[in-house]
Amino acid sequence: MSMMTRERAADTRAARREARLAVEEFNADYCAVLDDGDLMDWPDFFTEDAFYNITSRENFDHGRPVGLVYCEGRGMLRDRALAIAKTSMFGPRYLRHYLTNTRITEIGEDGTIAATVNYILIETLAELPEGRLHQAGRMIDRFVPQDDGSLRLSSRIAVYDTLLVPNALVLPV
Amino acid sequence: MSWHPGIPAAEVHDRGAVAVEADGLRLALFSLEGEIFATGNICTHAFALLTEGHVENGCVECPLHQGLFDIRTGRAQGTPVTKDLATYATRIEDGMVWIDTEPKAPAAAEAPASAGAGRHGDGPRLVIIGAGQAGAETARALRAEGFAGPVTLIGEEAHPPYERPPLSKDLLLGRGRLEDAHVFEPGEAERLGIEMRLDTRVAALDPAARRLDLAQGGVLDYDLLVLATGAAARRIALPGAAAGQVHYLRDAADAARLAPALAAASRVAVIGGGFIGLEIASAARALGKAAAVIEAQDRLLTRLLPQEPGTFLAWVAQQNDVALHLGAGVAAIAPDGVRLSDGTLVEADLILAGIGAVPNDALARQAGLPLGTAGGILVNAQNRTADPAIYAVGDVAVQLDEVTGAQARSESWQNARLSAARAARAVTGHAQEAPETLWFWSDLFGGTLQIAGTPAPGQVTIRRDGAAPAFFCLDAQDRVAACIDFGDPELLRLGRRLIASGQPVDPARLADPETDLSLIEDDEMKMLPVEKRYVWPASGLDRVPDWVYTSREIYDREIERIFHGPTWNYVGLAAEVPEAGDYIRSNVGPTPVVMVRDQEGGINVFENRCSHRAAEFCRELRGNAEEFVCPYHQWSYDLKGDLAGVPFRRGVNGQGGMGPDFRPENHGVRKLKVTQRNGAVFASFSDDVESFEDYMGEEMLTDFDTVFSGRKLRVLGHYRHTLMGNWKLYPENLKDPYHATLLHTFLVTFGLLVAGNKSAMIVDPRGRHSTMASAKSDGATVSDENKAEMRAYRDGMVLEDPRLMTFFEEFDSPWSVTMQVVWPGLIVQREMNTLGVRQIVPNGPNEFTMVWTMFGYEDDDEEMTRHRLRQGNLMGPAGFLGLEDNEAIKFVQDGMLNSTGGEHLVALDPKVPAGTSNTLISEAAIRAMYRHWRQEMGL
Repeated sequence: MSMMTRERAADTRAARREARLAVEEFNADYCAVLDDGDLMDWPDFFTEDAFYNITSRENFDHGRPVGLVYCEGRGMLRDRALAIAKTSMFGPRYLRHYLTNTRITEIGEDGTIAATVNYILIETLAELPEGRLHQAGRMIDRFVPQDDGSLRLSSRIAVYDTLLVPNALVLPV
Repeated sequence: MSWHPGIPAAEVHDRGAVAVEADGLRLALFSLEGEIFATGNICTHAFALLTEGHVENGCVECPLHQGLFDIRTGRAQGTPVTKDLATYATRIEDGMVWIDTEPKAPAAAEAPASAGAGRHGDGPRLVIIGAGQAGAETARALRAEGFAGPVTLIGEEAHPPYERPPLSKDLLLGRGRLEDAHVFEPGEAERLGIEMRLDTRVAALDPAARRLDLAQGGVLDYDLLVLATGAAARRIALPGAAAGQVHYLRDAADAARLAPALAAASRVAVIGGGFIGLEIASAARALGKAAAVIEAQDRLLTRLLPQEPGTFLAWVAQQNDVALHLGAGVAAIAPDGVRLSDGTLVEADLILAGIGAVPNDALARQAGLPLGTAGGILVNAQNRTADPAIYAVGDVAVQLDEVTGAQARSESWQNARLSAARAARAVTGHAQEAPETLWFWSDLFGGTLQIAGTPAPGQVTIRRDGAAPAFFCLDAQDRVAACIDFGDPELLRLGRRLIASGQPVDPARLADPETDLSLIEDDEMKMLPVEKRYVWPASGLDRVPDWVYTSREIYDREIERIFHGPTWNYVGLAAEVPEAGDYIRSNVGPTPVVMVRDQEGGINVFENRCSHRAAEFCRELRGNAEEFVCPYHQWSYDLKGDLAGVPFRRGVNGQGGMGPDFRPENHGVRKLKVTQRNGAVFASFSDDVESFEDYMGEEMLTDFDTVFSGRKLRVLGHYRHTLMGNWKLYPENLKDPYHATLLHTFLVTFGLLVAGNKSAMIVDPRGRHSTMASAKSDGATVSDENKAEMRAYRDGMVLEDPRLMTFFEEFDSPWSVTMQVVWPGLIVQREMNTLGVRQIVPNGPNEFTMVWTMFGYEDDDEEMTRHRLRQGNLMGPAGFLGLEDNEAIKFVQDGMLNSTGGEHLVALDPKVPAGTSNTLISEAAIRAMYRHWRQEMGL
């Protein structure tokens, strides 16, 4: 039963299944905020000291740390939400996020959940209503359970395979 | 009520408008007629401080879009502002202004405010100095273009404006009157509302005050001035010449003196073998007088005509019994004629000197306007001088070619008319028309000589005989550049057509009188050359035509002449290929290349294209290799790009394979010239390109070396994105300081660019490279004062994590931000502590890829690296500033793609035609870039 010995008390198959449901629910809410909600609510999905990075697979695979978006702490996430919502100029568009293939890779003693999920981002411009694939990649996530039972992200690294960003990435993934 | 102290009242009265903060509000204090009024300081329309605006008639005009508010009531005075300003009560206590930060109740609706209405008169006052043909034509053209302001035409002569050509032709022969040469029809000037001030001389011009001093006393103020002061006959400085014995012919008074003298004379000697001299000789012969022409050069009309037509004209003169003394210097004016240098006396009882004209540029010189190297007033393509309120037209104007720098002054009837029209269109803001083919005529010996186009040295002249001979001047490509005709108007008409078409012609067929010139091009089915199809707007560099950004043909020419021409193109950082065999894929312009470090440690750049079947053989973005093998037929290349192996080169069993003459050394991939500067690697397709240091120039190299100082670089990663616009829009964006605070609200909102920041837009002397630079107020790490500056413009807009804006001073530079364009395809970014290079890879006229390489230095500690990464949020495809530029560039291309024949307006800051400007509200750097581009493109 090597499987069982490798799993610690908290990291059981059942716990992972439960965690996967929790993560999927979390991500569905997360996408709803980015796609149809208020960008100012987006930082609330993160812990106070969270790390958030969007980077290309090219950088990630070669250990290059740069990010299209690189935030240390919820303050920087709020600053980005505020700046995008209140000061940035960009053409009208819809963005829709699809997060699938959720995998729980580890559950720590403290309940921290490590997970990966694939994502695609479809961008529909007012003048390009057929929409187009903007990014395809995976998220490498770490969730921390909160006292009220909800999850928050302490780290989300979005690694996109689609090296060439079409023009600009205006909203987070 | 919530009263807060402001500042001393005296300061408000002193400065007129002062920005203050009270209770967290940004307020404006205005001094109006001894009272102090407080309003919100931010325009209700867009972000701008009203205290930086203009106060007039109790209203403040927003500096950004000229929205007008009544200061007393806060009322918006109409578009673009529709929302009133908040106003606040003030009182003065012990000399201090106190402000109640509870806004006053909005003023009740009342009759529309009168302030600001009816401020315009009938239009600007325009004065024209010089009532010759050019001056009068300007007045007439102004009215035709709809100019409504008062027009005053000042002339020194007592005559109303007249044309000069008849002075040396019909008038001299008594065949016409001066009235027939008047420019205006009787009553026309009155009908057009042109005030004529004849017999009036302007003594001085004060461009700062826009005021003229009149010689007979009094002043005249202008808003716009046109200098049409013409030229004067060059006087001859010779013994005997002072006695008033020598005639000149420039104006009506000269003609009035000359005509009776000519009638009375029996022998006429003309000094100067130009058109005036020949016309006088011709008139003298027509009156039956003996005529001689003395010319210092060894042929006639050296300045205007090539050798062959000049010689033919001399033959015509001699056939008309004109004695020609060519190559003859004049020693003295004798009582009985002209004494030549060799002692010969040319007997004459009438002597006339026609040795050219000198531009009347004294007023302009006194006013400090830039003059041509040979005198005359320098003007641009619209005949505007360096002073945006002053134009110059006609003989006195020297047109400066913005692209070549050539100066041209033209004394012709056509130039008087065309320059007048250009000035009138510029004044009224109408589009300029395409330049006409130059045209000049002279009536000589019963015939007419006409010149169309521009004869120039080095052209081949072809003679074609017809009813009268015509001469065609051909350029190096056998295209007709000029046509000189001696009396066959049909040949001239066809010659003009050939000049316009720009088609190469067969010289032998052109010379053959049997060839039908109207068919010489039609039977060839040739396409118009690119220079004839892509013609820059006549207005000059203040317009950029859409085809610059959208044409595939122009794009292909850019690759050939710019990216594959004598330029240095960034390909990568040495730090990306630290070990032997390390390589990256890169591009020079659109062309794929490989950059690789060889065994000896050198860095080589060669085309990523197999010399066998063109396959792009290197497919990985980066890696390490001992050699490159094309996957298709396994041809292999070493790390220097030399062909190392060709499978089955000698065939199999003695059959097949390459021929015995095959030499691998002739079939390596195409290698580029490579240079490095402190870790940045550049390549060039041109073997003749100057050194990188000369290419950059000293000033640009200093900015470059600030980032690339020799400190070892650490690559932090890449961004790659496609932009849906022409590649040049990106360097333009960084040569456009005007957009910075208008597009990038972030900068203003969070105080990154605030009033008082030192900034500059520096352009290299050739106009291709540039640095846009700014400095934080004190240049140090964030001080309390700076933190205060970073407070948001709008309530509640404060950065929660101000580390984004922290600047650790690490460079020996007065600037905290520099954005440097290294022409054609590199941008070196130093945005405080976030460093990177951006490489432009064009993908056709309508799209380009941008490859960003972000880096720090090897000796950075972890916190510094993180700081650079955090600050990176400003830039890149998702950067607060970067994404807006990408969007703006896309919008520009979108605007062009679905329209035709349009042009851009880049006219800000006309005092600087092109180059470095002292103001950020300028497009002089963009104009400099297009001056260089046009030189390189030959367009």
